[in-house]
Amino acid sequence: MQKSKKINSIFIICKKELVDYVRDWRTLLAVILVPLLMFPAIFFVLPIVMQSELDERQSMHLDVHLETNVEFSELSYLSLKFDENLLNVSYFELDVDNEVNSTSDVLSEIKNTNISSLLRLSYDSNTSIWTYSIIYDSTQQSSSESYLRLTKILSEWEDNLTSERLEEAGLEEEVILNPVQRNNIQQSDIATEAEQAGFVFSFIIPLFVSIWTATSGVQPSIDMTAGERERGTLESLLCSPTSRLELLLGKWLAVTCIVGVSIFLQLAGLIFAISFLMSGSFLQPPDLSYASILLFLVAVSIFGIMVVALEMAIAMRSRSVKEAGSILGPMMLFFFLPAIFAQFINLESIELFWFAIPAVNVLLAMRELLQNEIYLVHVLVWIFSSLIYAALATWYASRQFLREDLVESIN
Amino acid sequence: MGQLLLSVKNVTKTFGSLNAIEDLDINIESGSVIGLVGSNGAGKTTLLRLLCGLYRPSKGKIVFLDDGEEKNIDKFREAVGVLPESTGLYHRLTAWENIRYYSRLNGVSDSISWERTLRFSKALSFSDDLMRHTRGFSRGMRQKTAILRALAHGPEILLLDEPTAGLDVTSARLVRKLVLQLKEEGGTVIYSTHNLSEAEKVCDRILILHNGQLRFDGSPKNLLEETSTSSLEEGYVKLTLDDARTRDESEPEGWFSKTWRQLFTKSIEVLDIKEEE
Repeated sequence: MQKSKKINSIFIICKKELVDYVRDWRTLLAVILVPLLMFPAIFFVLPIVMQSELDERQSMHLDVHLETNVEFSELSYLSLKFDENLLNVSYFELDVDNEVNSTSDVLSEIKNTNISSLLRLSYDSNTSIWTYSIIYDSTQQSSSESYLRLTKILSEWEDNLTSERLEEAGLEEEVILNPVQRNNIQQSDIATEAEQAGFVFSFIIPLFVSIWTATSGVQPSIDMTAGERERGTLESLLCSPTSRLELLLGKWLAVTCIVGVSIFLQLAGLIFAISFLMSGSFLQPPDLSYASILLFLVAVSIFGIMVVALEMAIAMRSRSVKEAGSILGPMMLFFFLPAIFAQFINLESIELFWFAIPAVNVLLAMRELLQNEIYLVHVLVWIFSSLIYAALATWYASRQFLREDLVESIN
Repeated sequence: MGQLLLSVKNVTKTFGSLNAIEDLDINIESGSVIGLVGSNGAGKTTLLRLLCGLYRPSKGKIVFLDDGEEKNIDKFREAVGVLPESTGLYHRLTAWENIRYYSRLNGVSDSISWERTLRFSKALSFSDDLMRHTRGFSRGMRQKTAILRALAHGPEILLLDEPTAGLDVTSARLVRKLVLQLKEEGGTVIYSTHNLSEAEKVCDRILILHNGQLRFDGSPKNLLEETSTSSLEEGYVKLTLDDARTRDESEPEGWFSKTWRQLFTKSIEVLDIKEEE
């Protein structure tokens, strides 16, 4: 009877915290809308914007200053290509002895965007070799675009010249230019598409999950602890028959629910974006066994328990919302850095101790599981060590909730 | 005299080197309204927090009784309704949701707490505001909500920390009337206040705390007799002639604290303070 009353109290606190939290429009934005729409927006809108920008760049008419020591009539191929690539070229005689320097008028013209680039093209009749240089400004979009178009035209022109000269010399182009060739088999990678997807996801998902878990728990943790203390609501709550441990568990459950929903929505948004919005078949969902999925959920849950308990403990220890924010903000690095670090650890022949290091162990476990690999020893080590860390974090949080000075409200 | 509900036995509460409460001995019986009177820093709030178990005594013991049987603090908390110094309402919840939350934590069904809330809200002229969100509530409305929250689960003892502070005359009157109604119904109220005239109106026993020490424990009539004065204010001043500890003893009393003390002893409420160039 007493036990069911305690459990009931935990659920009453959790329910109230969730109701109170979701009534804030900022919560709906931060926990539901942003996670749900962030990845579809990135994967859907970003390519459209990028394509539109590319089209815009490619449709630009660009003025190019060409200095050359050959007659215009000898450049008929280039002239045609310049027109096709929307380059308005002005021809000038090249003074070979006169190098372009920083005080040159042409450089000022490029800087002022009056012309997009300068092409210096010379021909040495003794060696039959063409030499060229393109002078442009990489910080200007039109100048960079001009450089790209000129490079492409000159490359094609070089290919044509090479073919013509080989033919004149009676040589076979394929034999001279392509003596070593790759055998054209259809599939050289024996990994299935689902396995490849799992491999890619094993780098992306653990990183995102750790960042989402840490960041989405900060605001509710502060609001339900230091926030309550600052608003003066904690004192009346502590006067109720609810024990402080029930209070901690109720609030912890509420923050965990919020973090869980946030992670679920962000993962759903990411998988939806990758599976349906990316052009072509970029990535398929990984083919995971039920055991891998279950263990993955266990890993995320244990990681969540530890992170939320730590965040709540630190927020409760703080005397104000501002203080809690200023501590928890930089503390995010403790979760981000292991996440980044874990990406570089080679999973093949990995040493067992990695699966006992806090935070890193769960992230490595997620990587293994997303590749659908289950090694019993690894699983036992990361589950056991993570449970110890989660228990320590919860114990530390409960210590903070038992402090007598919690009663003092800041206002 | 009613049944003994709780007994404070030689209790001292210290914060660092400060004795917030010093060797306090009091018994609280049922069916009485007990006024806890004292200046700022006298130890009123500390005593109330000790009584509802938020603080643990540094020395001594507080015994909670039910039909003469000692019971633990968790059990005792179910029998207590508390109005803390800060009303502490959740502003994204309605007044009723705030009240219901605490009632549920006290294990009381929604129907019972609603029935009690409705009854007392009528006494406080607050029935129409129960379903409103507390954001934007005036000080008086917040205070009324917090009082209803403390009452909804049907406590045996009500601990009120300055329940009329910041209230307008009409609201303060309604609160006092409610306290008297609770007393008539056999309830026990511990009522912390700065205001002696208010204590005189509602309390049948007054505890004067000064610098953490109990200076007087008795009826308002006893206070007049014991101090041979004609008003409670005079009696209070006589019992608390030494300076309140909030002032640095090494410094002479400044005009502000002197004025403040005079206002306090005359029970004049300060509504606003403005600085002039």
